[in-house]
Amino acid sequence: MNALRLLRRALPLLALLLLAPQAAHAVVKAESGVGFPHDASLDGHRIDWLINITGVFVAILFVIMCIWIAWACVKHGRTHAAEYDHGDAKKSVTTALVLSASIFFVVDGNLFYWSVVDLRDAFWNFDTPRENPETVRVEINGRQWAWDIRQAGADGKFATADDIVTLNDLRVPVGVPVYIQIGASDVIHSIFFPNFRQKIDAVPGTINRLWFQAKETGEFQIACTQHCGVNHYLMEGVITVMTPEDYAAWTAQAGRISTLAYDAEDPSTHWGWEWKETD
Amino acid sequence: MDIQAIHPDPTSFWKKWVFSTDHKVIAKQFLWAGLLFLAFGGALAMIIRWQWAYPESGVVSPAQYNSVFTMHGLIMIFWAITPAMIGCFGNFCIPLMIGARDMAFPKLNMLSFWVFFASGLMIIASFFCKMGSAGAGWTTYPPLSTSVGMPGLGQTMVVLAIFTTGSATIMGSINYVTTVIRLRAPGMGYMKMPLTVWGLWLTAILNVLFVPVLAAGAVLLILDRHFGTEFFLAGAAAGNANAGDPMLFQHLFWIFGHPEVYILILPPWGFIGDLLSFFARKPAYWYRGQVYAMIAVTVLSAIVYGHHMFMTGMNPLLGTGFMLLTLVISVPAEMLFLNWLHTILRGSIRFTTPMLFALGTVFVFGLGGLTGIFLGTISTDIYLHDTMFVVGHFHFTMAASSFLATFGAIYFWFPKMFGRTMSEGLGKLHFWISVIFITLVFGGQMWVGYAGQQRRLFNPFEYEFLANLRNPNYWTSMFAFVLGIGQVFFVLNFFKSILAGAKAEQNPWEVGTLEWTIPSPPPHHNFDVIPTVHRGPHELGNPAVKEALGRDWIAQDEPPLPPGPAAAATQAASA
Repeated sequence: MNALRLLRRALPLLALLLLAPQAAHAVVKAESGVGFPHDASLDGHRIDWLINITGVFVAILFVIMCIWIAWACVKHGRTHAAEYDHGDAKKSVTTALVLSASIFFVVDGNLFYWSVVDLRDAFWNFDTPRENPETVRVEINGRQWAWDIRQAGADGKFATADDIVTLNDLRVPVGVPVYIQIGASDVIHSIFFPNFRQKIDAVPGTINRLWFQAKETGEFQIACTQHCGVNHYLMEGVITVMTPEDYAAWTAQAGRISTLAYDAEDPSTHWGWEWKETD
Repeated sequence: MDIQAIHPDPTSFWKKWVFSTDHKVIAKQFLWAGLLFLAFGGALAMIIRWQWAYPESGVVSPAQYNSVFTMHGLIMIFWAITPAMIGCFGNFCIPLMIGARDMAFPKLNMLSFWVFFASGLMIIASFFCKMGSAGAGWTTYPPLSTSVGMPGLGQTMVVLAIFTTGSATIMGSINYVTTVIRLRAPGMGYMKMPLTVWGLWLTAILNVLFVPVLAAGAVLLILDRHFGTEFFLAGAAAGNANAGDPMLFQHLFWIFGHPEVYILILPPWGFIGDLLSFFARKPAYWYRGQVYAMIAVTVLSAIVYGHHMFMTGMNPLLGTGFMLLTLVISVPAEMLFLNWLHTILRGSIRFTTPMLFALGTVFVFGLGGLTGIFLGTISTDIYLHDTMFVVGHFHFTMAASSFLATFGAIYFWFPKMFGRTMSEGLGKLHFWISVIFITLVFGGQMWVGYAGQQRRLFNPFEYEFLANLRNPNYWTSMFAFVLGIGQVFFVLNFFKSILAGAKAEQNPWEVGTLEWTIPSPPPHHNFDVIPTVHRGPHELGNPAVKEALGRDWIAQDEPPLPPGPAAAATQAASA
C-alpha cells in the first residue's frame, strides 16, 4: 500500500520532468493549425496537459522502438551470424514481463490516474454546477440540422411560456458553471465545444448532461461530432460568453421577446422538459 | 488417418476453378475478390480525400459524400481486408501449415465463398438504388440508419449484405476452428503451430462468437426499417412513447465491433511473428509468450467495447471499468512488441520484400497502438472522440497494419500459391511507397484531429476554428493520391509474376514450416503422406542442425537428428 502511495506521488514528479515539450507547445499559437483550439475554459488545460504528457511518453517509446529496429537492421544484417536463442530462458521471460509491466504502470498508470482524477474533480463532477447558486442551466435539443437552445427565463422553471428560446445561439456568463441537459428529437447528434474541451452525445429518448465554466468572454463555435445526415457538416452553433452585466441585460431582453413570440398552439416549439436534478 | 482420404483431382472446368472445394482454389478466389474490392474501396477513399483537398469543387454532393465514406469503411472492412487476409490466408495457410489435406468441411468452405460473393453483388447493386447506397456511416447507428434518416433501398441492401457476408464469415470460421482442432498432423501440438495459424485460429474463434451479434443487430435493423418494429427508435421519431432505445444497437454493434478490431489484427500479428523469425534467421523470441499474449488479447477484446461509447452518457463507474480493461490490453501488446524486437535483434536479417513489409507493419502498428491509449481513457477521449484523431488511429491499426501485413503475406506465399516468383525490385518499390505515404496520410489525419477536426465532414472548413487546417488536409490528400497511385507497382508485379514470373522452387525462403516441404504449387491433396511433426516452426540457426545438415533451417517434419553432442543439448533445450 505504501509503495502504491509512493508511486502515485512519483508519477506527477516524473511528469514534471518531461514538461519541457509543453513549454515549446505553448509558444506555438493554436491559430497556426498545429495545436489545440484556444482553451477558454476553466478545466480544459487538464485534458491538454494529459494528452501532451502522454504524447511525450509514447513518443519516447516510439523513438526507442525505431532506434532498436534501425540498430538491428544496420548491425545484424545478412553478414551477421544469427544467435540461436528461443528467448524462453527464465531471464528473458522475466525481462519481458518486467519491462511490459513497468511501461504499463508509468504510461497507462499516469493516464488512468489523472483521467479518473479529472473526471471526479471536473468533467463528470456534477456536484459543482448543482451546488453553485450562480450556475446557469441550459436545455438543448439536437435535431437535423440545428441546436434548439432554451434557458428558464424569469420564473426559473423550464418548459414554461417565458423560457428564452434561441436557435444555434447559446449565451452564457463568464466565470460561473454552465450546466447543460441535452436530448435529440430525430437522430443521434453529439455536441462539441472545442474551446471548452467538452462533448456529449444527444440521443433521442435520453437526456444527457455536461458542464463547463468559461474563463474569458468571446464568441466560440459549437460543433456536431456525430454523423447525423446530409447536412451534418453545417450543424454549427455559436456560444457567446458575456460579462455578467451583459448577460443580465441580454436575458432581460431575450426573455421579453421570447414571451411575446411564445405560441401555445405550436407543439413543435414545446420540446423543453422540467429540469432533472438526478443523483 | 481415414478422415483425410485422397480424393481424385477434379477434371471439369467448373469443379476445378469455379465451384471448387479445394481450399487453395477458394483461397485464390477470396484473394481476387478482396483485391478487387480493395481497389474499389481505395477509389472511394480517393474521393473522400479529393473532397477534403477541394471541398468547393462539387465533385460529389453531401448525400453522395455520405455514401462514399460509409461504403469506403464497410467495403474495406468486410469486402477487402476480411476476404484478402482472413478468407485467403486462412484458407491457404491453415491446412498447409498444420499438415492437412483440406479443410474439415470443404463444401461449407465453397458455400462460404459463394455466399460472400452474393453479398458483394448486393454491395455493388446498392450503388444503383434510387437514393444511392448506404449513407449512415459504417457503424450504421440508428435512428439515422432507419427510415427516419435513410429511407432509400440502398441502405437496406447494404444492411442485408452485411448480414449475408456475416453468414459467410461464420461458415468460414467454423471451418477454421474445426480444422485446427481436428486435422493437425501427428506431432503438431498447439505449441508447435506457426504463429500465423495461431493468429488465424484466434480470429476465427472471435468471428464465430461475435459476428452472430452483428447479424442480430442487422436483422433488428431490417425489422425496424421495413416491418414497423421500433427496437431502435425513441423520441419524436417513434410512434410509441415506450418505444425502443437507439443505444441498444450501439451495444450490439460494439460487442461485435471491438472484437472485430482484433479480428483484423490477430492474423497480421501471426504473419509478422513468423516472418520476422524466418528472415532474421533465428527462432521467434519467446514463442509461448507471443501465443499467450495473443490469447490474452483475444479474451480482453470481448470485454472492452464500452470505450466506443464513453460519450453516450455512460455511467461513470462503468466508464472507469471499461477504461481500466482497455488499458490492460497494452500489457500483452507490449509483450508482443518486445518479442518482435528481440526476434530481429542479433539475427542475420535478409531484407526480402516480405521482411520489409513485416518490419513496416511493426512500425505502423507501433504508431497505431501507442496512439490508442489516448482514446482509451475518458478525459482525453472527451476531446478526441469522433475527431480525425480517431480516424488516424484506427487506420494505423486496422488499415495500415492489416494491409502491410497482408501484402507481406502475399509476397511471402505467392510462390507457393501460384508456383511463380514475384519481382523483388517492384515489391520493394511498392513497400517504400506504401509505408512512407501510409504514415504521412494517417499521420496527417491525426494531426488535424489533434487540432479538433471532427470526422465525416463534407466541408470541414465551414467551421471557423478548422479553417486554418486547409493546408494539412490538402497535403494529406496529396499523399493519399501518391499512396493510391503507388499501388500500381503491386498490380504490375502481381500480373507480371502470375503470367511470366520465374518458376518458384519448393522452398525459396529456406524455412521449415510444412507448406514449404511440398511442391509449389502443391498438388490437389497437398501431402502424399501426412507428415509427422518433430519440432516447432522456427528452428532457424540451430548449430546442431548446421553441423548435421549444413544448412541453418530444418523442416518441422524432418526426422530427429542423430544424437551428437550438440544435437543432444539442443533437443534438451527445446523440449
